[in-house]
Amino acid sequence: MQAIAATPAVPALVAPALVAEQTLQAQAPPARPAGPLAAGKRDAVGEPVPHFFTASQLAALHRLCELLMPPMGGNPGAVEAGVPEFLDFHVGQSPTDRQQMYKGGLDLLNARATKQFGKAFAALDAKQADSVIRPLLVLVPWQFELPKEPGARFMTAAHDDIRVATRNSREWTQAAIAAGRRPVGAQLYFAPVDPIYRG
Amino acid sequence: MAKQEFDVLIVGSGLSGGIAAQVLTQKGISCLMLDAGPEVNLATNRTTKNPWELPYRGLNKPGRLPHVVQANEFNANQWVDEKEVPYTHDPASPYNWVRVRFVGGRSLFWGRQSFRMSDWEFKSADKEGVGENWPVSHADLDPFYSRVEGIFRVSGRKEGKPHFPDGNFLDADYGPDSATVKKITEVAQARGILVSKIRASNGRNGQASSVNLLLPDAVATGKLQIVPNAIVREITVDKKTGLANGANFVDRHSRQELHVKARVVVMAAGSLESTRIMLNSGTPGAGLANSSGLLGRYVMDQFYGVQVVASVPEARGGKAAEGMMGGTALLPRFQNLKKGENRKFSKGYGMLIASGGAALPGFFTEYGEALQQKLDLHSGACMTASIYGERLARYENHVRINKDVKDAWGIPVLHAEVKDSPNEYNMAKDAADTAEDMLKAAGWDILSKTDKFHPPGYSIHEVGSCRMGDDPKKSVLNKWNQSHDVKNLFVVDGGCFVSCGWQNSSLTIMALAMRASEYLAEQMRVGAV
Repeated sequence: MQAIAATPAVPALVAPALVAEQTLQAQAPPARPAGPLAAGKRDAVGEPVPHFFTASQLAALHRLCELLMPPMGGNPGAVEAGVPEFLDFHVGQSPTDRQQMYKGGLDLLNARATKQFGKAFAALDAKQADSVIRPLLVLVPWQFELPKEPGARFMTAAHDDIRVATRNSREWTQAAIAAGRRPVGAQLYFAPVDPIYRG
Repeated sequence: MAKQEFDVLIVGSGLSGGIAAQVLTQKGISCLMLDAGPEVNLATNRTTKNPWELPYRGLNKPGRLPHVVQANEFNANQWVDEKEVPYTHDPASPYNWVRVRFVGGRSLFWGRQSFRMSDWEFKSADKEGVGENWPVSHADLDPFYSRVEGIFRVSGRKEGKPHFPDGNFLDADYGPDSATVKKITEVAQARGILVSKIRASNGRNGQASSVNLLLPDAVATGKLQIVPNAIVREITVDKKTGLANGANFVDRHSRQELHVKARVVVMAAGSLESTRIMLNSGTPGAGLANSSGLLGRYVMDQFYGVQVVASVPEARGGKAAEGMMGGTALLPRFQNLKKGENRKFSKGYGMLIASGGAALPGFFTEYGEALQQKLDLHSGACMTASIYGERLARYENHVRINKDVKDAWGIPVLHAEVKDSPNEYNMAKDAADTAEDMLKAAGWDILSKTDKFHPPGYSIHEVGSCRMGDDPKKSVLNKWNQSHDVKNLFVVDGGCFVSCGWQNSSLTIMALAMRASEYLAEQMRVGAV
């Protein structure tokens, strides 16, 4: 962020026409200390507006977030960290295959919940939900390729996304600071260099 | 208006181009260096941010940089934009070409591991009876390795073993080994395996790049001009003599086409990019300096990803005693060092064992509180073995020009066709089994084991597309990195490699570039080039 430049020093040789302006400047209030003007943060002021998942998919995702990443050890859980709404945004921006994996996976949770318990996944208690989730959990010794089976594929990806998005949230950092712990995740950000502007 | 003719045009400003510029300018030779990217100031261009301050909460913009596994939302702007400068491959055989286009190239960001290659790599036909010998040996490169190690301030522990040659090292204090590193060292030594330490370039002031260690010396001679944002389209050739006489390049921003004249051309754009430029030059369809037909062939890099993780029972639950965890052990290649070991693979792999890591969620089929308890239990108690595996040099593995696809400046792109063979799969399986065996023998419990590895290119050590050799029919370059066909064309990046070894390639690239540049300077002095 670039600070607003201070008023330039008055040149030693002042042209007569500028004298009046110089007088005006002399009467102006003193300059404020330089600092960023736009320090507000998006996540601190705005509520995300989900638009990608259907209502039943979003409800299932909400319940999945509660179960996979609940509040633990003084840290916020995925729901408190706004992860369902964040994933609605992030998956909505994604290539089609990731979108379909998520939609298909959430529909699968609802379908199995309906088949086993006659209600949506969002309405299951923890024990019921466990019987839907557990068959989809697989070991992932190799983290760079998702399982081929669609249900396990969705669960592996969603589990990872939910955990990372929770830990990367503003809420997680705030909780860490409040508890006197070192916040995780701050890194050097490499800004674009001399980009080519098109259009 | 006639412009200046330079003695030498150097294409690329990374480690190899930097070495060439340093050597040549210090001998009074005027050089022009073109780099495809802008200049970057790492001090001002990087700021610390929280992940939630980034647009995608640190999860990266979906679909950006599909081939760069190393990319995340923090470093995404480091890498070449794959839409701007694409390349193609069969979807069934992915190739990960990981590129940087800045003055200084990938040396701005490299991992700095600095190993020499040995005669088990340079002379594998003699030592192991497989592969082809390089036209150079470790003894040929030894003085150049030493000088490069001096410039880059390499630290390492001397071992006195010819398969892991010692260098001109700074005195490094590795401190006492932790109890777990001592234990795995005993286990490995009982199997006759050498256990050493990482060797790394310290550089200066936190940087070990061409930009701070090589180019300033060259600029100080007054003999080097560096032009950023100059994307070389092709090397130009004098029709009468067949010699290179300069290059056509395009300005990255304005797209203006320009030509520069030079008496000698030194390619240092990175193996595949130099090969791409040469294939786009000279005879349409064949390229420049390609009478052997081997330009673009024998592409290789190490395979990474095989990993075994064990948990140390006494260290679980944060109960590790002082000095129990921490540090690393490096096991230089320990397979096929003798003839007739009768393994299911040729060549070999090095192994790094790190103490004090954490388990990953995917090691357990748990979630929520139950998962967190497991992660907490094993946090800091893990031993992680990972490998550096050598891929064989194979004719079939190649890059060629894809005329149907052009980059943002209208330059035809590369098509990569690089596949793994049973040798890689067998080596990976052996590595995973061996790591598991040693970690178990140390008394630890295996948490996770995989013999899978990343697609070709991932290690960012791609070499070999412009191999050197004594026979012009079987190689593109001679042993001085000089084209057999075009005597005033040198290629000083990793393209010249005959085999890729298990070792990280930067140090060897620089030693070869230094040797080639001194040869070139001498040839120019006597008027032979």
